[in-house]
Amino acid sequence: MNLRLSQEQIVFGLAVMLCIGFAIALDGFLTTHNILNLVRSVSILGILGVAMGLVVIGRGIDLSLVAVMAISVAWSLQLAASGMPLLYALALGFLFSLVVGLINGFLIAYVEIPPIFATLAMGTLVYGFGRYFLFNLDVLYVPDDAEYMIWFGQGVLFGIPVPIFLFAAVCFGAYIFLRYTRYGRYLRAVGDNQLAARITGIPARPIVVMQYMLSSQIGFIAGIITAASVLSMNTRIANSTFIYDVILVVVLGGIGLSGGRGGIRNVIVGTLLIGILLNGMTIMDIQYTVQNVIKGVILLSAIVIDTILNPRDEQTAQQGDI
Amino acid sequence: MIPILEIKNGTKEYRGIPAVKDVNFTLNPGEVHALLGENGAGKSTLTKMLSGVVEPTKGEVYLNGEKLVMKTPLEALSKGIAMVYQETSLVPSLTVAQNIYLTDDKKFHRLRGIYIAGQQFLQSLNFHVDPTALVSSLGAGQKQMVEIARAVHHKAKVIIFDEPTSTLTPEEKEQFFLLINRLRDQGVSIIFISHALEEALEISDRITVMRDGQHVVTDMTANFTRDKIISAMVGRSLSGEIHGSSQDKKVRIAGEKVLSVQNLSMQNIVRNTSFSVFAGQITGMFGLIGSGRTEAAKVVSGVLKRNLFHGGQVRLNGRSIRYRVPRSAVKDGVIYVTEDRKIEGFFETMSISENIYLGALAGGRTKAKGVNMREMKAIAKQWIDALNVKAINGDARVIELSGGNQQKVVIAKALVQKPKLVIFDEPTRGVDVGAIVEIHNLIDRLADEGIAVLVISSYLPEVLQLSDRILVCRQGRIVEEFEGHKTDEETIMYAAVH
Repeated sequence: MNLRLSQEQIVFGLAVMLCIGFAIALDGFLTTHNILNLVRSVSILGILGVAMGLVVIGRGIDLSLVAVMAISVAWSLQLAASGMPLLYALALGFLFSLVVGLINGFLIAYVEIPPIFATLAMGTLVYGFGRYFLFNLDVLYVPDDAEYMIWFGQGVLFGIPVPIFLFAAVCFGAYIFLRYTRYGRYLRAVGDNQLAARITGIPARPIVVMQYMLSSQIGFIAGIITAASVLSMNTRIANSTFIYDVILVVVLGGIGLSGGRGGIRNVIVGTLLIGILLNGMTIMDIQYTVQNVIKGVILLSAIVIDTILNPRDEQTAQQGDI
Repeated sequence: MIPILEIKNGTKEYRGIPAVKDVNFTLNPGEVHALLGENGAGKSTLTKMLSGVVEPTKGEVYLNGEKLVMKTPLEALSKGIAMVYQETSLVPSLTVAQNIYLTDDKKFHRLRGIYIAGQQFLQSLNFHVDPTALVSSLGAGQKQMVEIARAVHHKAKVIIFDEPTSTLTPEEKEQFFLLINRLRDQGVSIIFISHALEEALEISDRITVMRDGQHVVTDMTANFTRDKIISAMVGRSLSGEIHGSSQDKKVRIAGEKVLSVQNLSMQNIVRNTSFSVFAGQITGMFGLIGSGRTEAAKVVSGVLKRNLFHGGQVRLNGRSIRYRVPRSAVKDGVIYVTEDRKIEGFFETMSISENIYLGALAGGRTKAKGVNMREMKAIAKQWIDALNVKAINGDARVIELSGGNQQKVVIAKALVQKPKLVIFDEPTRGVDVGAIVEIHNLIDRLADEGIAVLVISSYLPEVLQLSDRILVCRQGRIVEEFEGHKTDEETIMYAAVH
């Protein structure tokens, strides 16, 4: 059999098939309005997917991503509510996300804690810290006079919602970073083989710190769009299963958890599939719990098909995927 | 005589590309049969078909004249065919005895019971391995013994060894050969894959040579010579080229002292060692495995850290250095080329160009400011041509290349950083004969260009052929120094072991 498909192509095929299926079966699906709505609704997920994707390419995982996004933006809103100019408040929130990323990276690169534990603990810590020390409410509201911030979530440019542009911009930036900058190349090298990267003279540890700082920063951007779209930030999102949706997008798109593989295209493809699926299911009015079953089945089948079409070679079989 | 194990017209295709094609192979009862060939000649695939690891695409396997269909290695084991791998297949977190009795039918083992049985069993094989020791705490040689013990325990009639000696020290090798002889006396038939021709000539009864997935020749060992095997392996004679005598080589005059190491210590592996490396000269470092050669080199190049106190001194061109990461060493032009390219050599998800370009980027040897695809292609092409890397083009993935070409990519990735001092650790390990010659010529050329070269090797002919000076390492320190053309294998080996 010479037909060799990558997971990315399989997922893309699935997305196209779903799209055609929905377009035939559902009346309101294939309208410009709905398609824009669809992309808009997943653009936050997509942006977080880019953040997670960068970390996973560097052979890590950032489970604190959603917590950082929620708490840093919520703190900014709290500061703004207590009278600080919005721009300063946002700058402080951004700084907060950077510091969290820095600590994550330091714990993983220098203290050598496995990323899954370091970021899991950090996520809990950040949420608890924010709720106890920084603000007292679960939900923080965007001030009414913050028009330019609201524009990020609700604005329309050339008839297209601004979050879509932001998603595109983040994807483009990350693509350029990975492909055309020195540090992007280093990131992939460290994810592929950290020992070889070190011996080659790549600053392996600083690169690991950088990747977590990047993901926190991008998470902050996603947080701003979230807050601006619904005019509030509900910090309980940090305790939801949202982070698993983000991982779903990344893994579904075909970025291998073993590091070094995949790119931004995979995130886009994964996001599209999830977007089409969620949108179609919402139009069909399927229960939330059933939606989870369907998402799970899709993820499993994508991985199974990939394993059948692209059998692991001996090397990966021996080393394992993570 | 009915052969104990036979494969007729064995063919194995991976994605339509044959790795082994129409090979007929017979193993007679009680013989030691050496299987030789360059990397990628199909030796491993052939033996995997014989031991049930892979199913032949075409062809049949016969055991004692009966047709045999094996789906799993366990099935093969139950029929008496065992394979002992290069990378051991033991469970590191279990003890020696637990590993030996792992696949036994009994569901529960009393630990005391298997330790006593294991002790007796290992003693009967004359293996000095503690049955209660964790496998992860054993050396390579001992692990191999356990693997063999396991195969014998399963009453294997046929044992297949995949490069058994490549990780063993000379003493362990001697032990291993004695064992092979003992197994043969007990009527066990043995297939033996090796790169070391001397070993094959020494212990085998028959030799089969493969090339490009095809059978070339099978004959009694007595009818073979070194040259004959090599010409069968590569299709041409180049024995003289590989290890030409060291006498007729001109010795290079030492340039300035580039590296000077004094009283270097790292834990108890490198102990108070001192040596120097000069520009324009190849300094060979010979020592048995575990003698601290690799570690000394890694300390010099910043991969490992020496002791904080009484760690000794390292001087580069007279300047005292203490690298904490390889990056600083690379910036100063001190490059270490690893002995284990799969673990710390190349980036497997990347192409040849990307691998070499990363070396250039990290060494600060690119002209463009960021990443420039055109420059990447140009640099890659230049090195692919210079080192004669055999691949379709620079976009081929390194993981798909043969061992020799992978090694060339790793070397290119190092040389693109314009080293002043380059340390080759086992530069030709797991490399096919043709590529060995090319790598040796390259190392010679580097020294001629005035670069200081340190070559670490545990293969004596290689050390002798390449080196202008030879340092001998034993128990963590340099114990002797020889001039390259004024010594021989016996003298060096004597210094290394006594």
